[in-house]
Amino acid sequence: MNPLRRLGKFVLDSVEGLGRASLFFFEVTVGTRQLARRFELVVQQVYAVGVLTLLIILVSGLFVGMVLGLQGYHTLVKFGAEDSLGLLVALSLVRELGPVVTALLFAGRAGSSLTAEIGLMKATEQLAGMEMMAVNPIERVIAPRLVAGIIAMPLLAALFSAIGVLGGHLVGVGLLGVDSGAFWSQMQSGVGFREDILNGVIKSVVFGVVVTWIAVFQGYESVPTSEGVSRATNRTVVFSSLAVLALDFIMTALMFK
Amino acid sequence: MTKMGGIVISGRAWDLLRRFLHGFRTATGRKRLSNPQTDSGASGALVEIRNLHFARGERTILNDLSLTIARGKVTAIMGGSGCGKTTLLNLIGGRLRPSSGQVLVDGVSVPDLSTRELFELRKRMGMLFQSGALLTDLDAFENVAFPIREHKNLPESILRHVVLMKLETVGLRGARELMPAELSGGMARRVALARAIALEPMMIMYDEPFTGLDPISKGVIVKLIRELNTGLGITSVLVSHDVAEACAISDYAYLLGNGRIIGQGTPQEISQSKVEEVRQFMGGLPDGPVPYQYPAMDYLEDLLQGGQA
Repeated sequence: MNPLRRLGKFVLDSVEGLGRASLFFFEVTVGTRQLARRFELVVQQVYAVGVLTLLIILVSGLFVGMVLGLQGYHTLVKFGAEDSLGLLVALSLVRELGPVVTALLFAGRAGSSLTAEIGLMKATEQLAGMEMMAVNPIERVIAPRLVAGIIAMPLLAALFSAIGVLGGHLVGVGLLGVDSGAFWSQMQSGVGFREDILNGVIKSVVFGVVVTWIAVFQGYESVPTSEGVSRATNRTVVFSSLAVLALDFIMTALMFK
Repeated sequence: MTKMGGIVISGRAWDLLRRFLHGFRTATGRKRLSNPQTDSGASGALVEIRNLHFARGERTILNDLSLTIARGKVTAIMGGSGCGKTTLLNLIGGRLRPSSGQVLVDGVSVPDLSTRELFELRKRMGMLFQSGALLTDLDAFENVAFPIREHKNLPESILRHVVLMKLETVGLRGARELMPAELSGGMARRVALARAIALEPMMIMYDEPFTGLDPISKGVIVKLIRELNTGLGITSVLVSHDVAEACAISDYAYLLGNGRIIGQGTPQEISQSKVEEVRQFMGGLPDGPVPYQYPAMDYLEDLLQGGQA
């Protein structure tokens, strides 16, 4: 195949894939209507993708906060502005690191497991079996997972930021001697609800939609073999990480002026 | 894939568009499906397939296939691996759409059904997958209860009775708490069978029910298929390449090869057939119309070329 033809095929395949993913998203969105009477399915999935991801989120949040405390202190102290450490840690976490790092960790932990689970359900004919029992797998399997991802992501991001602030406090106040009152009061006066916290929440909701959408789509579309599922899992992590980083840039450009 | 104005539209996209148009036509009063009980109801055929053609991309899988599955009987569809037997079941179940031709189940044209109508029809069809296709996160009891919970609003006490009755039918009432991973291949298939009859279907499609089973488990499945057919009057479509078992329990058999029917009749008629393709399959002969050698270039030439390289 000549390079031009290969390029054309790649573009056509990508556009077709995007179209399929969009139609799939539409189908799943329509399928979420059924969830009102079966909310326990969503709760189960929030546990699977949210609660089981807590450990990695909390540990990472703590360390990211501690590193921010260290780095921030050493920079700020040069200008005698170490009292602003709380503000720096909080803004970095709430605006950027909370939503972004959570989304990246979520893609690696929960996204990959969603793809593998759905891919294996497909490979073992469980999805086909459901279809033949007149149960729509999009409504029964996919929709609860998508909704759970959208619910879990902002909560995980909030916990990441909260424990990160505590990590920053631990290092800044506990180890490096920043004044505790200044740490909290600067943070309180400098972090705005709408422009900082709400924007951070919007980011993590968008990441929740995108990462979970990619994960369930890749699982549902995977070739039902061990190699196919492995490739799909790989694609989930790569595509969702890239999507998170690109979207973060766009949203940051739009939100913070 | 469907070619449309030079743009390739994926199967799913096309399906969605089709469903949308169907919904539109229904909304505007141009409803196509009328009475589900039409001609085939009277003729005693539950499934009728006429001039069916199915292709995947360039590859033709089923070509001008016509067959009838009689109501209340066990019909076997036999043929070598990859001859399109499972595809045929998927076409009957509406999981695939034919390129052309008709698939009628209980008088209803399956490819023309909307998703909702198709799901209504599937509640009356059971399917036993080769792997069993049990849901791995639910135990045997919950697997059997699954379709009932999804479609019927039964109180828990009655549901328990129904599920235990189904498990008793397949002899696994005592295994209700086992997870699919703890079941042997034969047991998993029996639980799947109990699940397939949970909604009391009019017919069950068995996809290779004997593959990979030990002789005892095979015997159990043979017994169950026969009992479900005679006891409950369930029409059975049995797709298999296990000649002995399939012939032992079927009332009528079709033999598929190269996407078309190469032989049909009662098991006895088929086993006495003079057609060479049929004789090769029934006798398990390694060479014949289906060649032993995969098509290749001349052997000597191939070896000599290898020497030069």
